[in-house]
Amino acid sequence: MAQLTLDDVTKIFHDDDEGEIVAVDEVSVDIEDGEFLCVVGPSGCGKSTTLRMIAGLEDISSGEIRLGGEIINDQPPAQRDVAMVFQSYALYPHMTVRENMAFGLEQSTDMSDEQIAQQVEEATDLLGIDDLIDRKPGELSGGQQQRVALGRAIVRDPEVFLMDEPLANLDAKLRAEMRTELQHLQERLGVTTVYVTHDQTEAMTMSDRIAILNDGKLQQAATPLECYHEPNNMFVAGFIGEPSMNFFDVDRRGSTLVADDFEYDLSEETARELGDRTDLTLGIRPEDIELVEGGSGAHDYAGVVDVVEPRGSENTVHMTFDASDSANFVATVDGMRDVEWGEHVTVRFPEEAIHVFDSATGEAVRNRELDSVEKVEPIV
Amino acid sequence: MSTESRNPLSKIQEMENSRIGLYAVLLFGLVFYLFPVETAVMTMFKTQQSFIETVPFAPPSADGFTLEALTTAWNTLRPGLINSMIMAIPATILSALFGSLTAYGLTTISWRGQVGVVVFIIAGIFIPYQAVLVPLAQFWYQILPDLLNGFVNTVFGFATGGNWTYPIRNGYLQLFQLSVTHAAYGIPICTLLFRSYYQSISDEMIEAARLDGATAFSIYKNIILPLSLPMFAVTLIYQFTQVYNDLLFALVLVNEPSSQVATQRLAALTGGVVQSFNTTMAGAIVAALPTLLVYIVFGEQFAKGVAGET
Amino acid sequence: MREILNRLRTAGDSLRSVVSRDESDGQTLATDGGTETAVGDRRRDTLRNSLPVEWELIESAPFWLPPVLLAAFFVYGAIAWNAVLSLTDFQGLGEPSYGQLDLSMYAQMASDGAFWQATQNTLVLLVVFTIFCLALGLFVAILIDQNIRFENTFRTIYLLPMALSFVVTATMWSWVYNAKNGVFNQLLRLLNLEGLIITLLKPAGVTAEVVQWLSWNTTALAAVIFALIWQFSGYAMVVFLAGLRAIPTEHYEAARVDGASTVRMYMRVIIPQLRASAVSASVVLMVFALKAFDFIYSLRGSQPGANMDILATMMYRVAFDSLRWAYGSAIAIVLFLLALLVIGPYLYSEYRRGEL
Repeated sequence: MAQLTLDDVTKIFHDDDEGEIVAVDEVSVDIEDGEFLCVVGPSGCGKSTTLRMIAGLEDISSGEIRLGGEIINDQPPAQRDVAMVFQSYALYPHMTVRENMAFGLEQSTDMSDEQIAQQVEEATDLLGIDDLIDRKPGELSGGQQQRVALGRAIVRDPEVFLMDEPLANLDAKLRAEMRTELQHLQERLGVTTVYVTHDQTEAMTMSDRIAILNDGKLQQAATPLECYHEPNNMFVAGFIGEPSMNFFDVDRRGSTLVADDFEYDLSEETARELGDRTDLTLGIRPEDIELVEGGSGAHDYAGVVDVVEPRGSENTVHMTFDASDSANFVATVDGMRDVEWGEHVTVRFPEEAIHVFDSATGEAVRNRELDSVEKVEPIV
Repeated sequence: MSTESRNPLSKIQEMENSRIGLYAVLLFGLVFYLFPVETAVMTMFKTQQSFIETVPFAPPSADGFTLEALTTAWNTLRPGLINSMIMAIPATILSALFGSLTAYGLTTISWRGQVGVVVFIIAGIFIPYQAVLVPLAQFWYQILPDLLNGFVNTVFGFATGGNWTYPIRNGYLQLFQLSVTHAAYGIPICTLLFRSYYQSISDEMIEAARLDGATAFSIYKNIILPLSLPMFAVTLIYQFTQVYNDLLFALVLVNEPSSQVATQRLAALTGGVVQSFNTTMAGAIVAALPTLLVYIVFGEQFAKGVAGET
Repeated sequence: MREILNRLRTAGDSLRSVVSRDESDGQTLATDGGTETAVGDRRRDTLRNSLPVEWELIESAPFWLPPVLLAAFFVYGAIAWNAVLSLTDFQGLGEPSYGQLDLSMYAQMASDGAFWQATQNTLVLLVVFTIFCLALGLFVAILIDQNIRFENTFRTIYLLPMALSFVVTATMWSWVYNAKNGVFNQLLRLLNLEGLIITLLKPAGVTAEVVQWLSWNTTALAAVIFALIWQFSGYAMVVFLAGLRAIPTEHYEAARVDGASTVRMYMRVIIPQLRASAVSASVVLMVFALKAFDFIYSLRGSQPGANMDILATMMYRVAFDSLRWAYGSAIAIVLFLLALLVIGPYLYSEYRRGEL
């Protein structure tokens, strides 16, 4: 029923000083009924504008937005059957929690006062804020206000939830809790949700699919793991994952990738995948880099430990190759493993874990082998 | 070097001294800002003989004390006070309401080019009223009566026989005209005060209300208006003192003695009896009473209104 | 939790069924009469989008347009009309004739000594009053900003004269300046300074035993300016105080750490940051000065004498006492242009900086 479709949606702002600014550039994405889609990207990438166009708060310059098959481009916000949760919560400060939640129903439906009261109470029960119902927003904590903001959206029983960084104003611990709770809530209510965030952890953990935007253009829309393991391009590969993927500029000579500090021999199969491209970028995720004892395999290189950031469960190790002014790269190793500054180690870049990108376009030419994920042996 | 090696106690002493100096200057400020008022209050309780013989700011002696001046002033000014209230209260409320509506339409609902309209309206604050006086007098005393006479006698000629005339000399009508004039000229400053307040209201909250299905009118009624109440207090207080204190418009628009406002009556009192300073001072205090009371009770709001004018 | 959830869902479903029933009713209607409702809806939507102006402009117009029209009629309509009147020869009783428009009133003005005197007085009042108000206001604001006790009381009393009517303050000051028994002269007498002041300030050709503050051409305008400073320096104080409070404490602390003395700190670090406050305060003060009519009229009536006459009083006298309407209008236009000279650049710069 409530499938939401964005079809070549474009937003152009007219600025007196700078002329036209394309904030959102031909974005197309289908959001299935009940799906939880996270829109992520760096600030200024157009993610909030996209959300506001769906809400009807911004006009659409070109393209179509369809809800349940019906074009809603020209409908005013109130007629779109969407509810939005704002980063600032945007609660009405002079109204109680009850009045805040009832306002939308009073304004947009013909429900009787009793029906509205019942619906509000059920929503507050659901969110565990029934004891706050007669308080005003100013008397609530940030987390409680956040719940009221959610409640205000839920009580409307909309076809689509739109959420604009709803957890950004909470402290880290509460944010983690709310993340889980919000996800459960969405699963239970089964309402199509578009969730904008700049926090890739939120996107990875909460969503059914992620849509990654950069410079107003859609880079990839796929499940979190697909985006992680099979990025469409260097931007996605670099944006998703923390610490981010290591990139090395390489020249291809036959079946060898030549970087400033190392040479990487490719198997025949991999070389074939690269076609005749020569200007390439080699990518490998920190956790795929292995620290081995005295190895001398084809993909083993001498490295020096520069900085170690202990994170408890794992260590983030900043390294260089064993040469003066060599490139830096990052590896993550098990937290129990003892690595020290200045230590000389051998690093291995397993071939099944490498990504190769076209340096000119950023397109992924070869992504890691997915079925090899299980095959990777834990490092001892 | 010498400062550092000095006894820390003397440093404290030095700070104490500068604090004492500070308060001395501040107290002198109190004297400076209050002495004309204090002098007026003291003088209004003195007999003619007493205010000539004593220092103006000294309290009256036992035999120089009288309430006669105050009684005279009160009797002269009382009708003016009532007229001022009749005129100023509706004008103030109208200006504030119009200002709030204008600011809402030009701030909370945003559209391209609205700043132009804002500049256009706000410039009205700074107009010297002399530049509108002659047309104003013409409008209320010539154009409008002529128009109404023509209209009424044409449309209702069967009843008036063509002899109806706009009651130009009706005192209450003159007060009404003055009130409308003040209401109109108060719109710019009230708009400015409300606009700066509405700019601080979160855009997201208004968007939330639009998504909730509220119309522009419903947003104003249910959200903006309740949130504006503190600003209404500021605007009403400030604008009331402005309207009440005005003399110029009243001089031009009200000429029936029975409808003169307090400032007009006080000006007449000052100009008339030159030597009875006890009576004129009593008049000044009586005429100032409404604004003084408002200022003492709502000083905070008045200060906000004053600061908002920039 | 599950149960609550189910209830919510049921409620939601029943709502949805209510809504869809409404929809289906609409549908039946629509099928009966073709699909007109749907088409009508779409037509309205396209209409909204094909408007030559933004929808928000139309949506907001009922709120701002009526008051703006009312104010524009009284402000700009009246000024335009006044400008036209200043080109006529309208005077006396009766009605203006717009048949022959010329600049004769302005020519008359150029050769009118009283006009030039009033213009000079207006400009002196404008400049001296504004500068002293700013200086005093800044000084008092800095004092008030020293974490003093009873701050509110001091501030309230310093601002009090501004809440009073010009008519009231003029009445009070006429007593203060009174030659025989006024506060000033009594104080001078007490300090034995009266004779000195008389010799210093007495205009040539005048014999006097007391200081005639409001009559002497040496003191009249200064006396008015002094009283106006008394009344409005509180305003400058409020504006500067707001400016001072907006400066982060770190700036004071950084200056202190750098070892600057209090005076140097204010001169070098703090006062330069009050430029915006000073500009806006001076604009408003100048406008007050141009409006000082009420004060002078209450002090001396419509004929305050050449020493105290400003354009505002002259305009009123010419128009409403002598009934020379066109000439009064012309003076009013000069006054308006003076005001425009002050506020035009100010409003324009505020507009450019996006401050409005």
